[in-house]
Amino acid sequence: MATDTLSPRTPAAPAARPPRSTSLRRQKRLASGGVLAVLIIASLLMAAPFLWMALSSIRDPTELAKVPMPLIPQDLRLENYTEALSRAPFGIYARNSLILATAAAVLNVVFGSACGYALAKMRFPLAPAVFGWMVACIMIPFYATVIPVFLMVRHMPLFGGNTILGAGGTGWIDTWWALIVPGAISPFMVFLFRQFYVATPTELIEAARLDGVSEFGIYTRIVTPLIKPGLLTVALLSFEAGWNNFLWPLLVTTSDSLRVIQVGISSFRQEAATDWHLLMAGTTLAAVPMIILFLVFQRYFVEGFAASGIK
Amino acid sequence: MTTTDRLPAAAPAGRTAPRGTRRRASVRTAERRWGLLLAAPATLHTLLWIGVPIVVAFVLSFTAYDIIHTPEFAGLDNYATILGDGLFWRSVLHNVIIAAIGIPVSMFLALVLAVMLNRAVPGRGIFRVMVFLPHITATVAVAMIWLWIYNPSENGLLNIVLGVVGIGPLPFLTNPDLALGSVILVTIWQGIGLKMLIYLAALQGVDGQLYEAADLDGAGVVQKFRHVTVPMLRPATFFILITSLIGNFQTFDLIYILTEGGPANSTSVVTYRIYQTAFQEFRVGLANAQSVVLLLILVVLAFLSRRIVGGTDGD
Repeated sequence: MATDTLSPRTPAAPAARPPRSTSLRRQKRLASGGVLAVLIIASLLMAAPFLWMALSSIRDPTELAKVPMPLIPQDLRLENYTEALSRAPFGIYARNSLILATAAAVLNVVFGSACGYALAKMRFPLAPAVFGWMVACIMIPFYATVIPVFLMVRHMPLFGGNTILGAGGTGWIDTWWALIVPGAISPFMVFLFRQFYVATPTELIEAARLDGVSEFGIYTRIVTPLIKPGLLTVALLSFEAGWNNFLWPLLVTTSDSLRVIQVGISSFRQEAATDWHLLMAGTTLAAVPMIILFLVFQRYFVEGFAASGIK
Repeated sequence: MTTTDRLPAAAPAGRTAPRGTRRRASVRTAERRWGLLLAAPATLHTLLWIGVPIVVAFVLSFTAYDIIHTPEFAGLDNYATILGDGLFWRSVLHNVIIAAIGIPVSMFLALVLAVMLNRAVPGRGIFRVMVFLPHITATVAVAMIWLWIYNPSENGLLNIVLGVVGIGPLPFLTNPDLALGSVILVTIWQGIGLKMLIYLAALQGVDGQLYEAADLDGAGVVQKFRHVTVPMLRPATFFILITSLIGNFQTFDLIYILTEGGPANSTSVVTYRIYQTAFQEFRVGLANAQSVVLLLILVVLAFLSRRIVGGTDGD
């Protein structure tokens, strides 16, 4: 593998100067070895915290008090997980996160692709304004609007005991509406979809129009199937954002039955205090689903992240 | 299918031209109608949940509001309060420090890793995954893991490691002199992956002939890196810098779990300060003014970094 880089150059260095060629090759090989060593060390350093999490989650709690604590746990204690599950309803938390993340993925794919397609391929009034607005929205951080969004949710008319003017009750606070609706469509996903659609051939659309296919049919049956990888990318990125979301669910949910897993971990921290074997078991439960999803769909994640830059 | 149905009807002999024009016009109408219809949900949604809140934030920033009583107009009081609010500016300063140290370090490490991974190294994919994992993991989970690594007892991982060389145990998160540095370390660790990925994508677009030309000129590895790689990666660098700066000013989850802004406010950041002002002190008007200031800071940063890096090709 490492010598592959050499092959185009070797014929250029003829047998007339063999000593230089071999020393060069040795140098290159040494350099490759060095690179490999640095990469191994760097990636182990990057992975060490996860390893530590996993090891701690199966550690016997008595080891945690030992000084010095053995780096490798003496035995594998999966009971930590059952104990963590019995101390906090992680199953419900995970289910809630799954619902939230799935809703985010579906809504972004449906409405994000519709808008992205229109912006990329259709001429309609206000199109430049809509595009400019979406780009501007990407620049606006959620933290700059979170308080008004919270107030809007709390004063949602006719919900949660509110009057038609939005006063008197708690509105959408502590409901699925609050969790899902305000963040349902991300302007960034619209932008990403537009990029995917721009790359599709316009001639296809024109041909379909000549054939009398309806505009909606062209969008759903002709062009969208061409960007299937893009659909998956957006679905995965939206799912990830939903699963990892913390501040918003923290603000708008109060009951255990609506708590998502990241907020659940945070509240479990108060409950389990210094029981690090349980805390790490809970953290593993919150982290592992995303890690697995990433490992399976790496390619699509990478494509989306390379275009995003913002977590 | 629809082709055979529609074509004869659309082109009866002799009347092709006028029919065609009319049909094209109706196609245009359909396109306009469907374009609006398809774009409407996302546009209306963002107008309602981003546009309206921005306006509301701006309006409320001129009021005194505590969530329970109706907001009262307070003029520029909130902005005057912010000007004299030492803790707010200290939080801004912490963001600046985290950015000033964390971003260059993680960008440099990301670039080095990307250059290494851009060659035919065995196990490339595995390395890439391992470096990227911290980014994909929820910051809450990341913060929990580091909370345990930074454990001040002799059983915290970092204290075990430092114990080997005879240092410690250190109270990483409870000592005001160490806490911010500990936070920065986590941001570097979590930030490398995405930056590496963007650099890697950019490197794949660099013309290999440039390196061959540099080889002919007898350039060494370091020279090639400085005079070919770095200039070619300028747009990527700008992109990473700007998105990292914006991301940095949105650090919240990490602080919330790791330090709650402490000890003695030594790790408070802007978003955490806004959160406290709004949801713990219930000074909602003031918190909105702080949000407006945050937005202004980000706009200025975006402008400045464009000047510093010299912008992208589009300039």
